[in-house]
Amino acid sequence: MPPRDGRGALIHPDLLDRPERRIDGDDKTTGAARYTADLVVPRVLEAGFVRSPYPHARIVSIDAERARALDGVRTVLTGADVRGQRLGRRLQDWPVLCWDRVLFIGDRVAAVAADTREIAEEAVRLISVEYEELPALLDVEEALRGDAPVLHPDAASYRFLEGRGERPPVPHPNHQGHVAESHGDVDAAFARAARIFEHEFTTPRIHQAALEPRAAIVWLEGDRVRVVSTNKAPFNLRDQMAATLGLAKERVVVDNGTIGGDFGGKGLSTDEFVLYHLAKATGRPVRAITRYSDELTTTNPRHSSRIRLRTGVDADGRILAHESHALFDGGAYAAGKPTVRLLVEGGVSTLEGYRVPAARHEAATVYTNNVPGGHMRAPGQPQNVFASESHLDLIARELGIAPLEMRRRNIARAGDLTTTGEPWHGPDLGALLDRAADEIRAEKARPAGHGIGFAVGVRHVGRGSTTISLRLGPDGTVEARTGVGDQGGGQHTLIQRIVAATLEIDPAKVRVRRLSTEGPQDPGIGGSRVTPVHGGAALAAARALKDKLGVRSVAEAARALAADEALEASATFDATAVDHGACAHAIEVAVDAETGAVRVLSAVLAVDVGQVINPVGLRGQLEGGFVYGLGMALTEDLALEDGRVRAANLGDYKLPTIADVPPLRIVHLSDGHGVGPYGARSAGELVNPGVPAAVANAVQDASGARVHTLPITAERVWRVLRAP
Amino acid sequence: MSAHRIRFTLNGAAVDTTVPAERLLVDLLRYDLGKTGTKDGCSIGVCGLCTVQIDGMPFSSCLLFATQVNGTAVRTVEGLSSLLQEAFTLEGGFQCGICTSGQLVAADALLRAKPDATDAEIADWQMGNLCRCTGYYGIARAIARARDAR
Repeated sequence: MPPRDGRGALIHPDLLDRPERRIDGDDKTTGAARYTADLVVPRVLEAGFVRSPYPHARIVSIDAERARALDGVRTVLTGADVRGQRLGRRLQDWPVLCWDRVLFIGDRVAAVAADTREIAEEAVRLISVEYEELPALLDVEEALRGDAPVLHPDAASYRFLEGRGERPPVPHPNHQGHVAESHGDVDAAFARAARIFEHEFTTPRIHQAALEPRAAIVWLEGDRVRVVSTNKAPFNLRDQMAATLGLAKERVVVDNGTIGGDFGGKGLSTDEFVLYHLAKATGRPVRAITRYSDELTTTNPRHSSRIRLRTGVDADGRILAHESHALFDGGAYAAGKPTVRLLVEGGVSTLEGYRVPAARHEAATVYTNNVPGGHMRAPGQPQNVFASESHLDLIARELGIAPLEMRRRNIARAGDLTTTGEPWHGPDLGALLDRAADEIRAEKARPAGHGIGFAVGVRHVGRGSTTISLRLGPDGTVEARTGVGDQGGGQHTLIQRIVAATLEIDPAKVRVRRLSTEGPQDPGIGGSRVTPVHGGAALAAARALKDKLGVRSVAEAARALAADEALEASATFDATAVDHGACAHAIEVAVDAETGAVRVLSAVLAVDVGQVINPVGLRGQLEGGFVYGLGMALTEDLALEDGRVRAANLGDYKLPTIADVPPLRIVHLSDGHGVGPYGARSAGELVNPGVPAAVANAVQDASGARVHTLPITAERVWRVLRAP
Repeated sequence: MSAHRIRFTLNGAAVDTTVPAERLLVDLLRYDLGKTGTKDGCSIGVCGLCTVQIDGMPFSSCLLFATQVNGTAVRTVEGLSSLLQEAFTLEGGFQCGICTSGQLVAADALLRAKPDATDAEIADWQMGNLCRCTGYYGIARAIARARDAR
């Protein structure tokens, strides 16, 4: 057993303090790394899709004769060919191709396989579809009216995957998911409150905008269906394809390599299913490389939200009671959400990280005729934290308490009851907040037009189970085998470092080999899972190998192996412990009183992510998460007009550039007692949720303007400043 | 479509080929010549994934016809041999790697033309290369490290 300190935590090896050299560095800096769209596939055909121009319509007829006659077109399929087949991560409600109705602009009604992408796109233009337009539900509250048309009248017949039971019941047929939960005597606590405050906040749809658009290749090989795609959870994709297409799971083999960014979006695949049919019809491999405009307009963005908060406080500003009503626009299908409740779970528990003795939360995702919503980096949480932390600031200002002091009075200390009804377990939030305030020099006098804002973000550490096996060869190198890919998070370097540290060998002696779905089950990337789950499995496998070494070193054991021998060990690890990472944000902005323009001057993140495994990778997750949040705060808006996405390209959808990022200071405070390997916690989804709130709070501090809607554009600030 | 013979150098090696008039440079490189280190992102010249050097200057290869590089010297990520590459690995200049080729090709053009570029000049130059992973801090550190190591 590795050494432990007095409190039972693993004492980390020195190796973990040294910056890592990423395992994929050489491949990614020379152009050698192969992404799905880079693969050379002999005889591959290219797919094209006919998409609905209407948010809600009945398909009257499809005429594909001219497309079929086009030279180079190998097959055309319409909804009639795949009638009844629906896809989805949990609730399978999204037609592989629509056969009777289309439910959003971009919904697919026909697919083409052709010799080239240009021919496929020409064929798509030659297919004429006659529609009968139906009334469209474009607003969540309209969709929940008693007389609203039901968008999915056959919902009861939809498949619900991996159910330990059935889909949870919902109060309105246009609900995707709904929850109402509470703890404490909320009404009595409100009755005791000295003051009660109520505010509403809205956030728009925003897009994951991984710069690699989706791509997928499907071919048939004997009785196997072979899939290479950009999906970040290959086993889940295999299971979905098997269910939708009526195939045994073993027949579908998913082998996904390097992925060009994910941020949650690439958990949903929509092309692979119809590619199977195209491959079957043509007897050839078929590929779809998504055009970026289709990526932005038809793939599952972050849900827009409308969140109403009500909080009762005592005379000193201490929270007594809290309630929230959150509505998320789920769009035409719930297929993008893998969660059992079909919610964006990070949006349910408002005022996380604070002491909340009594709370009632109601949250719902709602069917509309808009682009379907999905998972994006901390699903639901940035919307929640923007509302919660803005609300807290507004209450503080109404009470004449400084926003920082308001937070100090209410921050959850160890064992305090939080908004979920559970006692706080995790980092010292008060210490993080104090440190962020020190670093930004909160007490310093600032020039007119400058201000600071705070926010606190907490994020659960993920759970799940995976298997990692190790193989020590006579050359003294260790091969680690895992089912997880690397979408950029540094997963393989994490596995390499933990194995090397535990076996006390040079990380360069550890290779990582990714297995397809023919290897052991793996949950894939997501939900802040990889560090505790895959890191935990790497540690367990390394300890199992170490046990086999006995008193020998790795080098000694390797020397004893014959040329064709290997020493192997394997571990299946189930991460079940409850823990949180935490981050206190402090951001300084300048607001131009004439134009409303917001400039972020500097930012501080005080974080507790436990023991650091990959120092370079961790820094990248925190810095990248910060700028991810900055985009949501200031520029990103996947706005719809009559159901149509207006920002249909990366020129109109405004991502931050290198010129937009302010000086950023990151401070680590840690108790070293995370539940992950060597005391680590997760980091990937920790930072982005708090940034929009901290910016909004800083804008009010600087200018007096309170913006209740994201993004915080100059126009919005200007309008508030000019309001009577 | 008419066919056009074009001759240029790609990473120093002579290329002599015939392309349809509408062939885009990015597709010539990726699909006809197998240089898949150059990526295709937005396809409209704003993301920078497809950046290549033409006679030392960075261009979006998704906005150029292949015929337009006739008589030029083209360099892609496969032709780089730069301190930048190791610096990107050590400083966290990439995560998913999809923008990395374009970032490197653009930064290499800058440091060749201006070896003492200031941090502000680096930020100004790299503005046309989006990155969704790093928040750009690691990219800025990596380019500065390569500059300082010269």
